[in-house]
Amino acid sequence: MAARRTRGMTGGSDLSRATVARATAIAELLRYECSILLELYRKKESFTADVTVTESRLVSVPPPSSQLETRDKLWCLHSALLQCRSFLERAITKEEEQLGGGKKGDYETQRKMVKERLSLLLINTGELLKTAGGVMILTPSSEGLELDGPTILFELKLWVYRIFEEVDYWTKTAITTLQALPSVIAKERARTTRVRSTRSARR
Amino acid sequence: MVLVKGIMMIPWLLLVSLFCKSTQDGNGQESGVLHCGAQNLKLTNSSQMILLTWEDTPSCSTVQDVLIYELEVLIADKKEHYDEVAVTPDQIGSTHSWNWKSYLALECASHSVRLRSRYKNHTSQWNQETLPGLETSKAEVYPKGKHFQVGSTATFCCVLPAGDVFDKMSLPEYSSADMNTTRISNQTYALTVHLNQASKYSCTDVKCELNPDVVYGACAYIGYPPNVTDLQCETRDLQSVDCHWTDKDSSLPFKSVTEYHLLESPTICAKWPETTCSQEVRVDARERNWTLTASNPLGEVKLSDTADLTKRVHMFPPEGVTALSVNARNVSLEWKWTVQQYYNLSLICQVNINNHGENTISEYFGVGLKFAVLNDLIPNWTYNVAIRCRTAQHFWKWSSWSTNVNFHTKGDVPDALDVWMQVMDNQIITIWKMPLANQSHGHIEDYEVTWTKTTERERQNRTKVAPNNFSLALSLDTTVGHIVTVTARNINGSSAPSTITIPSSNPDGTRVNTSLIIGSSGSFNLSWSASPTASCGYIVDWCSTLGNCTVEWLKVSPNQTNASIFSKNFKDGLRYTLSVYACTQGAPVLLQRREGYVGEKKIQDGLFKSVKGQQQDWDYEVSWEPISRREQTAFIQGYVLYCLDNNNNKVINFSTDNPEANSLTARNLKNGSYIFTVKARTAVGECGATSITATLNLLTDNLIGTVFISLAAVFGLLSLITIVCYRHWTCIKDTVYPPIPKPVLTSTGEHGCRNFQVDQCHYSEADIMDVPELYCRAGTPINGFVSQENMPFVFSQTPKGYYNQPLKKFTPPPLTLPSTAIPSQPGLPSSPFRREFPNASYNLIMQPGNQQSNFCPELQEGMSLERSSDGYQPHGHPETFTTNQTEEDPDTPMSCVSTYILLPQSSSR
Repeated sequence: MAARRTRGMTGGSDLSRATVARATAIAELLRYECSILLELYRKKESFTADVTVTESRLVSVPPPSSQLETRDKLWCLHSALLQCRSFLERAITKEEEQLGGGKKGDYETQRKMVKERLSLLLINTGELLKTAGGVMILTPSSEGLELDGPTILFELKLWVYRIFEEVDYWTKTAITTLQALPSVIAKERARTTRVRSTRSARR
Repeated sequence: MVLVKGIMMIPWLLLVSLFCKSTQDGNGQESGVLHCGAQNLKLTNSSQMILLTWEDTPSCSTVQDVLIYELEVLIADKKEHYDEVAVTPDQIGSTHSWNWKSYLALECASHSVRLRSRYKNHTSQWNQETLPGLETSKAEVYPKGKHFQVGSTATFCCVLPAGDVFDKMSLPEYSSADMNTTRISNQTYALTVHLNQASKYSCTDVKCELNPDVVYGACAYIGYPPNVTDLQCETRDLQSVDCHWTDKDSSLPFKSVTEYHLLESPTICAKWPETTCSQEVRVDARERNWTLTASNPLGEVKLSDTADLTKRVHMFPPEGVTALSVNARNVSLEWKWTVQQYYNLSLICQVNINNHGENTISEYFGVGLKFAVLNDLIPNWTYNVAIRCRTAQHFWKWSSWSTNVNFHTKGDVPDALDVWMQVMDNQIITIWKMPLANQSHGHIEDYEVTWTKTTERERQNRTKVAPNNFSLALSLDTTVGHIVTVTARNINGSSAPSTITIPSSNPDGTRVNTSLIIGSSGSFNLSWSASPTASCGYIVDWCSTLGNCTVEWLKVSPNQTNASIFSKNFKDGLRYTLSVYACTQGAPVLLQRREGYVGEKKIQDGLFKSVKGQQQDWDYEVSWEPISRREQTAFIQGYVLYCLDNNNNKVINFSTDNPEANSLTARNLKNGSYIFTVKARTAVGECGATSITATLNLLTDNLIGTVFISLAAVFGLLSLITIVCYRHWTCIKDTVYPPIPKPVLTSTGEHGCRNFQVDQCHYSEADIMDVPELYCRAGTPINGFVSQENMPFVFSQTPKGYYNQPLKKFTPPPLTLPSTAIPSQPGLPSSPFRREFPNASYNLIMQPGNQQSNFCPELQEGMSLERSSDGYQPHGHPETFTTNQTEEDPDTPMSCVSTYILLPQSSSR
């Protein structure tokens, strides 16, 4: 199971609203692009939208709980997105190796776009995490991830589909988490101010 | 004793018979069960193939005939296949094998093989071996990643773990009609499908979907085995063989494409879709087979081409082509060969000279050819050349073209100018064509024109013309011939002179008739008769017939008597004059002149000017001014006049084929309003419409006019008579009603001649005179014929005076009735007189003398003899006389004074 290592800190009081807004916008764009990618892949492989190929989550990070502090939420999100990108890169490589990467069609273009958008989102969540005082250490490490994928072609296709769904899932999670951040920031800022006031009064 | 011995023999007999029996059954056979059978059964598999090996039991060694092994295949405990293997006596003791390919992947269900031997009617016990199916913890589809040929039938199975619920099996893009799903066992389902589509992407998915929506599957590679044709091998460098082929459908998805091997080499030479490969070989002059092997998971194909590669040299193109020693009209090219062997080959090379899009190819020969000289080039001109070569012997293929090389030739003096002349009024215009870039060979600095009279050649005039002018107008004495010479000059010098002789104008010279010509496709196709005077060819020149144009011309060779005349200046609907001249050593001689349109255009409406109409009875003539050529955009072939009756919208037309006509008459029209439209008839249709409107009311107008004129004439006449009578009433009265003494009647009745019947009138034939007779009349027309046409105008008059003598003293002057001078009209016997004119006292009726009338006027009422007592003497023999008689006998004029009787004037009608 993934271990979490963080540096002790108080919270994301210095989080830039602009960075959060930018990260949210990127996540929303990624979500849209991811939905197109899934649609293209389903069309290419004749999968129906309601087909379930997921037995369990590929990304081994628990979803950010509302009970967690901002810093931990951001860490969970950032870590999951990092894993998503690793899986996506591996999926692209495996697809081209095993299924042929000859002609570049709409699907291939969309796949590349999603990968680049995900990288951009990671830069922004990384900034937020850094601001919040979190440590950008991926757990598990990229070596620990099961990135090989299946060798049987059909299972490889299902695996790729699972990865796309995973990216889609974590993009939605990112939007939810990022949209919840401003209120959290406000509350924590207020709490920090109150604590400081109490200490000053005692003195 | 014998009985005892017999009883003792029975057991012995039984023993013997048992022995015999046991001897007979010595091959192991007892009561239908064969002891000879199979042992050491071993069941293995390779893909979907099951392989069974076994050995004979030792008891089989005694079998002396063919031994049969019966085999049964059971799939999931259902009998699926039966087979027999025959073993000859000499094979007994060896290991036997048998194989069978299952339609189902072996993972799908257990495959069991049962085996027993049969010899004659005896069979052994069954021996069975089983390959168990796959037990899985999750659903699986089999076979996985297998290759199938398009058109084959395949069976896939879905093996479910216990508890999973099967929903369906499918292949995308296949219809249910091509697929059939069956249940093999509780947890195994099979899908049989006719594979009629090659895999589009990486592979074709075979899906097994469970309830709820979970999908499992496998990939199937569906494609075609190699299909190689048209193998052709050659050499390019004389050190290797290059082969190419076509392979249309040899495709399988990624990682399973067809591989090509040349000359049985294990090295892959090419992969689909490549269709060429090369391999180093020793090229020698002998025929040999060049074999290509194409293989993919679905099959292998070998193809051979037999060839002597020395006869199949496909050269590489020349390299490093350069232009050396570039001159004005020639240049030399050099190049290199990348293959040294080419220098030893006898070669043919082609040089493609591209001259501004126009390609010219010239050929060069030689061993190891590496240069070429290009001649007849245009000075001061840019060329683009490329070279290709081939072997001179055993032509196989041209090399591809070398890279293009550009060069620019040096300049030279201009080419001689193309000069012509145009004589206008007293001016001689010498005109020449602007030298094209490929004729000027450099920038033209000016033109020099010299001229002289043909009679005084030693006296030359000279002038220079700017380079942007291409004509020179000279006011010369056109009655004398002139020789004009033009040269062009550029930086390299002057061109050769171009001379033209201007003929003297000769008003008495022979003229040529102008004929018409119609162009086609934007040009005129002109032909003419050969002329012996045309020693240096012919010149065709053309210009707009309307004038004001710069003449254009074309020179053709002496043996050519036709030309297609085209000019970018030609316009449809414009008339051109084309002239053909014979080119002579002296002045050109006009041979032919034509006029025509390169393309006729419809003439615009309103062509006809000053259109006038004139009614002529029931006809209406429409006339117009002659049409000028300027307004004719097509040859006029005639005219059409359309008359549109406004009353009933009926159109009638009248036409003429005379193009010179300038009027058309519409005939037999009726009263009413008409629109007259006149159009010109041309080859492109009727056009140039011009309309006028006219109303025809012929009868009414003329009738009214005639009536008015008649009434006026009558009124005037009556007025005149009245005035005259009034003024001379006394005279008239004295003349007409002289005081006549009352006659004294001595007797009554018997001597009267009340009825002037002819037969009762006694007169001698000699007394008949052809003069008008004057009959007395009481104011009413005689027999009502007085004013009828064709009726004689009769005067009732007594011959040679009045019957009563006293009247003699009032003898009127002779009446001159020019009956002979008045022409008789048709229908009228002779008399021109048709009108009645009243007399205050008498109604005089003129009757021509030739009127052979038996008319004997009756005595009118009130004209009784009794009333004649006041001066008249009744006469019993009235006589008729004619005007002829009057002429013959002027002494016996008609007793009618001209002042009393007015002769009617002949009317206009």
